[in-house]
Amino acid sequence: MTDDLPNNPALLPSGLRDLLPPEAEVEAMAVASLMEVFASHGYERVKPPLIEFEDSLFTGSGAAVAEQTFRLMDPDSQRMMGVRADITPQIARIATTRLANAPRPLRLSYFGECLRVRGGQLAPDRQIAQAGIELIGSASSAADAEIVLLGAEALAALGVHHASFDLTLPTLAPALIEHAGIEGLARNGLARALDRKDAVSVARHGGRLAGVLTDLLHAAGPADRALAALQSASLPQAVRILADQAAETIAAIRIRAPGLRLTLDPVEFRGFRYHTGVAVTIYAPGRYKELGRGGRYLCGEAEAATGLTLYPDVILQAAPAPKARPRVFVPAGTEQAAAASLRGQGYATVASLDGEADPESEAARLRCDYIIREGAAVKL
Amino acid sequence: MTAPYTTAFRPEEAGPVVLALPKGRILAECGALLARAGIHAAPDYADEESRRLRFPTDDPELDIIRVRPFDVATFVAFGAAPLGICGADVLMEFDYPEIYAPLDLGIGICRISVAEPAETARTDDPTRWSRVRVATKYPAIARRHYAARGVQAEVVTLNGAMELAPSLGLARIIVVLVQTGSTLRANGLVETEIIAPVTSRLIVNRSALKTRPEMIRSWIARFQAALRLAA
Repeated sequence: MTDDLPNNPALLPSGLRDLLPPEAEVEAMAVASLMEVFASHGYERVKPPLIEFEDSLFTGSGAAVAEQTFRLMDPDSQRMMGVRADITPQIARIATTRLANAPRPLRLSYFGECLRVRGGQLAPDRQIAQAGIELIGSASSAADAEIVLLGAEALAALGVHHASFDLTLPTLAPALIEHAGIEGLARNGLARALDRKDAVSVARHGGRLAGVLTDLLHAAGPADRALAALQSASLPQAVRILADQAAETIAAIRIRAPGLRLTLDPVEFRGFRYHTGVAVTIYAPGRYKELGRGGRYLCGEAEAATGLTLYPDVILQAAPAPKARPRVFVPAGTEQAAAASLRGQGYATVASLDGEADPESEAARLRCDYIIREGAAVKL
Repeated sequence: MTAPYTTAFRPEEAGPVVLALPKGRILAECGALLARAGIHAAPDYADEESRRLRFPTDDPELDIIRVRPFDVATFVAFGAAPLGICGADVLMEFDYPEIYAPLDLGIGICRISVAEPAETARTDDPTRWSRVRVATKYPAIARRHYAARGVQAEVVTLNGAMELAPSLGLARIIVVLVQTGSTLRANGLVETEIIAPVTSRLIVNRSALKTRPEMIRSWIARFQAALRLAA
């Protein structure tokens, strides 16, 4: 090759980035306040490793991200390992092994970075931070509601009050399709059409389900209206149970958070291949990326569980910018106690190292808003 | 660190809802539909000579933008325009999961087809191919179509005048949008296979439907009513 790109050391592999000041601190503080909300509701923190054996990483819900996982061989054990692409499977592993004897319901929280092999069409990121909770060992609708309410409280702690919580029933459409005996290519076409809300294709592939699926497709929207449409639809008994779960969850959420923006989309099931009951996706107006998602799944072989993962990177873009920590310059010879007291009040102190002749201009050069004079912070 | 405007720009707070319309073929047919939906845009929106790209309507809550058909999908997928109208061909090509297509508008009727020169058509057995060179504006559709038959498509992507490709030796086969077939005939080509019928759809950004369901639903309902009026 004669036309190689110059090897610029700033260039990172696609989908990766450096966080600089002040973003890195903003992110760390945001994560801390999310985790504080989780902890205050009794969710205890766990920290699984970045890499583990792929067979444990890909069991249960992990199968859904297998194709997105970086793999490497462990020279020590000669077994294949994966860099986690999602943390939920790791929490499920912990809950079913090391914490198998811990009393249920088990409430765990976590924060960590995940890596994906490919970025999406719209979101190129390959390193994704996840802050989440898992509620293991309860099949109750109160658990589904708790997850949503806690998500709302965590977002509110970061000043995101306008988020919209979209409840879905990922197993409803597949159960309807199965019950109607639609198989093979028609089944795939129908699943895809439902995913894209393509009313034409739903009518074309839907067979005798076309009517009910089209109604449910158009019912998606504000929770109460969508729920009414779902309850009045003619559904087989197995599917009716799902509708009842949705109704109970919505009622439980409404009691504690009547003002929460809640929508219901009965036939949506995209990307939720492992969910077994009520699932939730969090959106913010004008943001095309999801703030978080979660839902009911099976932990291990058969244990009922539900959980929620928040994406701090996306949430921070939807949140109001936090107030920056004010920087105060500490000229040489300043009383140490004065600087310490200002730090106690939330200032960042920037100490002079060499005793500048003009501390004021040095303070401005180092982006300080204040300077210490006679023991107090004075605005520059 | 991402560019700072990603935090500052919030389409929701930036005024009227934007409806993206495709330039060209479909735009003329949109006029009657918009009128029946009670949308009256500044008259130069349909004038391809106009330099404006964004047009107000008589509804202060709705603006129209006019972009290339493929770009309609991009604007809607990113939520820059919560609503749009585009052909099913564009949706098949891009396949953005962020786009919902809740309504068939029944305009812009055509099809995506395979065509080749009349003299070579049906002279050999396509099931014996392992690779085929295809000129098209739709690389993803062409690849998917042939992959489903176990054939690798070696795609030559063109932005127009695909019909020239076979006669100039660029590719024997083209995958192309066919409305009446007259362009194919004029270039000595025949349609050998229809990949999919195409009509225009009303498309909606997923996040917009989730966060502002009432508003988006009311627009869908207006277009539904307009379609009933036409029937």
